[in-house]
Amino acid sequence: MATYAEMQQIFDDIRGDFRYDHDLNGCLNCGICTATCPSAQFYDYSPREIVQLLWTENVEQIYDAMQEKIWACAQCMTCAARCPFKNSPGGLVAIMREVAIKHEMQSAKDVLRPFGRVMLKLITTGNQLSPDMIQPDHFPDWGPNIQKVEGDLQVLRKAIPVKTLQTVETAWEVSLKTSVEMYTIWEMTGVLKSLELMDENLFDVIEDFIDEKREDYEDWLEEQEEEDDE
Amino acid sequence: MQDTVLVVGGGPAGLSAAANVTSAGYKAVMVEKEDVLGGAPILSGYAKLVPSGEWASEAIGRMVKRVEDDSSATVHKGAKVEKLDGEAGNFTATLTNGETVQAGSVVLATGFTHFDSINKPEWGFGTYEDVLTTTQVEQMVASGKIACPSDGRVPERVCILLCVGSRDRQIGREWCSKICCTVSANMAMEIKELSPETDVFIYYMDIRTFGLYEDKFYWKSQEEFKTKFVKARIAEVTSSGDGRLLVKGEDTLVKRPIVIPFDMVVHAIGMDPNADNPEISQVFGVGLEKHGFLERAEQYTNTCGTTRKGIYACGAAYGPETIDDSIAQGAAAGGRAVADLHALVQKAG
Repeated sequence: MATYAEMQQIFDDIRGDFRYDHDLNGCLNCGICTATCPSAQFYDYSPREIVQLLWTENVEQIYDAMQEKIWACAQCMTCAARCPFKNSPGGLVAIMREVAIKHEMQSAKDVLRPFGRVMLKLITTGNQLSPDMIQPDHFPDWGPNIQKVEGDLQVLRKAIPVKTLQTVETAWEVSLKTSVEMYTIWEMTGVLKSLELMDENLFDVIEDFIDEKREDYEDWLEEQEEEDDE
Repeated sequence: MQDTVLVVGGGPAGLSAAANVTSAGYKAVMVEKEDVLGGAPILSGYAKLVPSGEWASEAIGRMVKRVEDDSSATVHKGAKVEKLDGEAGNFTATLTNGETVQAGSVVLATGFTHFDSINKPEWGFGTYEDVLTTTQVEQMVASGKIACPSDGRVPERVCILLCVGSRDRQIGREWCSKICCTVSANMAMEIKELSPETDVFIYYMDIRTFGLYEDKFYWKSQEEFKTKFVKARIAEVTSSGDGRLLVKGEDTLVKRPIVIPFDMVVHAIGMDPNADNPEISQVFGVGLEKHGFLERAEQYTNTCGTTRKGIYACGAAYGPETIDDSIAQGAAAGGRAVADLHALVQKAG
């Protein structure tokens, strides 16, 4: 359990974000965000509650909501599209998540752990998901219907007329240049820093991979230049 | 022509202004763009008025008759002012019917336009037959029968959604339309009176039955007519497939999302600036405030003023207004108009 001072600091970090005033104008407590929220239909999560806690600066309840509730949001932003006051509850949740990571909250680590595989896939292939990830034992929370896609994926993918989609380890081919540009973006926007805070082992693996890819890219550029010289 | 006041608009505010002008011994010329006088209460067929409980046709009808029978008042119906020349004390208005009017002052009683519910498609108006507006239900009440338009059945459950076209930044309407809470509480009672087996629910963000409307409408509708008030702004209205409507919201006091079936959904539509205001602003040379209503002059010593000397305004032209207050403001604007003409004559004499 955090001290009050720590909880206050977490709130100050949320409020200090440059997007905060844009996403929060006040609250009419009309409930249209929660009414329209897909996650609120299934989880103990209410965008109006998040907005109300932030607006009333309830640092203890904000800290409590960051343990689990904020991770139920699907970031669909329907709340922002409907709010008559033009708040963005989903945008506020995004800020809270980033602050949870910055503070290395255990809850954030627990929630994000299952996504490590997705992150690895994303960094190594440029795709978030690939056909070979859709297996009954990989995502038990996807329910029993996942078995409907079981089968010889290699053969099934052959049925797709687009050549670049006939892969199993990736959803589609991503070029080396695009991958390297993505690494730069992730680095500069703090994604890799966040990863390091959440999962050091995974970060090490990914960092090695990125270094390797960047070398490959340098080599490729040199080859191109040599070819041009010839 | 320092004995004549031009009154633009023949609703409650304009009718009141014209009557006050002639009572003071001056002449009134009224210009109304529609073919009948009476304004929104008559044109939209309102039922019983708040707070008097009198039928609109009778109450506003008396105001119309008073002006039409007045030998000092001239009425041009089906006409607009297309040009205004001159200045305070000596205006010349050219009407679309070819006539010209000489007047010393002008009173703008140009009113408002009902919000068009088509602009909030997620609330089902225009998609489902049984989604109606308050003006449509006013007409239904006036006809004496509450029925679902889709199949004519008497609804078991009716809900009224407040703030449709009001207090909504998403559609650029940041104002409260002032009257809808009281009108809706009144309507819930009227529905229950006509159809005792029908239950009425009102979905609200805040209840603004201000002043004496609190107990006469908000409390009474609950205590005597069992109207249920739910604190929720509705997200969407859909169909259940069995001919009923589904209303989705969050009961913000119970704090969970809810989906409730209804037979009829009523939009408590708000008051937009008159759709003609850009034209009115140009023809009369008066400013509009940020929402698009007429800009009010300094209120304390230039009451009922606009941004142009000699031109006054009243009622819903300034912003959402009740009928009673529109009438009072009309009388005030008419009074200002003749008082200023009187002052001009004194000065000249």
